[in-house]
Amino acid sequence: MKFNRNVVLSTAVVLSIGLFNAHVFAQGSSVKGSSVKSAARSMQANTDQPPALIDPNIQRREINESDIDTEDLEIGIFGGFIAIEDFESSAVVGVSLAYHINENLFLEARYAQATAGQTSFEKLSGGAPFLTEEERDYTYYNLSLGYNINGETFFTDNVVFNSDIYFTLGAGSTKFGGDERFTISAGAGYRLLLTDFWALKVDVRDHVFSSDIIGVEKDVHNIAITLSTTFFF
Amino acid sequence: MKLNPHFLFVVIMASAFYSIAAKADDLIVSIVEPYVDFRTGPASEYPIFHVAEQGETITIFKKKTGWYKAITYTGQEGWISAEQLGKTIKPSGELLYVPTGSFEDYTNRTFEFSAFGGILESVTAMSVAAAWNVTGNLVAEATYTQALGDFSENKLWSIRIQHHIFPEWKVSPYLTIGAGGINTRPRSNLVQSGDEVRKSDFYEVGAGIRYYFARNMVIKFEYRNIIALTDRDDQEQIEEFKLGFSVFF
Repeated sequence: MKFNRNVVLSTAVVLSIGLFNAHVFAQGSSVKGSSVKSAARSMQANTDQPPALIDPNIQRREINESDIDTEDLEIGIFGGFIAIEDFESSAVVGVSLAYHINENLFLEARYAQATAGQTSFEKLSGGAPFLTEEERDYTYYNLSLGYNINGETFFTDNVVFNSDIYFTLGAGSTKFGGDERFTISAGAGYRLLLTDFWALKVDVRDHVFSSDIIGVEKDVHNIAITLSTTFFF
Repeated sequence: MKLNPHFLFVVIMASAFYSIAAKADDLIVSIVEPYVDFRTGPASEYPIFHVAEQGETITIFKKKTGWYKAITYTGQEGWISAEQLGKTIKPSGELLYVPTGSFEDYTNRTFEFSAFGGILESVTAMSVAAAWNVTGNLVAEATYTQALGDFSENKLWSIRIQHHIFPEWKVSPYLTIGAGGINTRPRSNLVQSGDEVRKSDFYEVGAGIRYYFARNMVIKFEYRNIIALTDRDDQEQIEEFKLGFSVFF
């Protein structure tokens, strides 16, 4: 049986939003419902004595460590340039999701896409193209382990932001030219925390995989320079 | 450049998740130790700029890894460590429990996320896994592995059960059993028609060892033996060795 991918995706999205937010709707209605009911009950119970204006038995709600807002996850979008070896450089856009394990280590997943250009040979000879339009779609993802070197950035004496320089090492795959290749990536970046939950990042990352698109098998280096904005939640 | 529908899917899912993360409460605690250090950032490298004294009440409103953002009644805002917060008391007078990613927290974990690098029949493979700790001994896990070789691209997923024989040991062996599916696609330069994907189901058994390494982190080494139920006369046997690490919640 074949499903339309968009229909499946959109149904999943609607369901997930409904599920994740159900407690908000539920809470709203139950609070209203219970307050109305308790008001009604107290009116019934207190028919022979004057109703109490203030209920002294307020339950103090116990708050624990687990109720505190945790900001260990960092989600972001990025854009920039990627130099695709033999195929010019192109614009690249992507999304990232990171989990901060502790103050120094983090785990980051990235997914990005670009469209490769033409090789010099294709341009100069004017001959048949190496790749079809579809095969020029360049997509990659990777999972990296990163290390933060924490610090502060002083723009002036009074304008100070927390920041860090980080290094990443990861593995993933690149889909390009009709093949999917195991890809090692390594890079470094700078993260400027404008607030506790909003950051700007500049990132340089090399992606290395072995490719035989232009005939001989060789290791290609595709360096991406990107600017990201990320949010902690 | 056309945008991939998966890309949009990720963005929308993330925004849906954001709404569950948005619920938060402020926690009020009193300091019983002589003092608590307030730092300018959520890491031990950041300087201490303020000290809250014994008897003071502080409000905790945010957490980032092992650091908590607190505000004093005079309005000083800074980050304090989990260790120091763990020595404060709640309004009820009880000591506040603060998880520090200790081995004890690990044995009480609910979810675990792992990433591995390894070798699947002489091809470099990478895997990710999400696990749910059902009891201390039994863990349900979903895994996804990708092995991109010179001749074919292999993608495997599986659902499996891990049995931790001695979960209370820091170095602890475990056994796994599960079932899944494998997709194999030959390289486009080897097969002209391109998309000849072979799909088979498989069963897997395996064994591994895990080591509680440091705060919030566990190292794992694993072997699994896969029996793929192919359409051909012979069944295919695949072996995988992998080394990785896990974080837990």
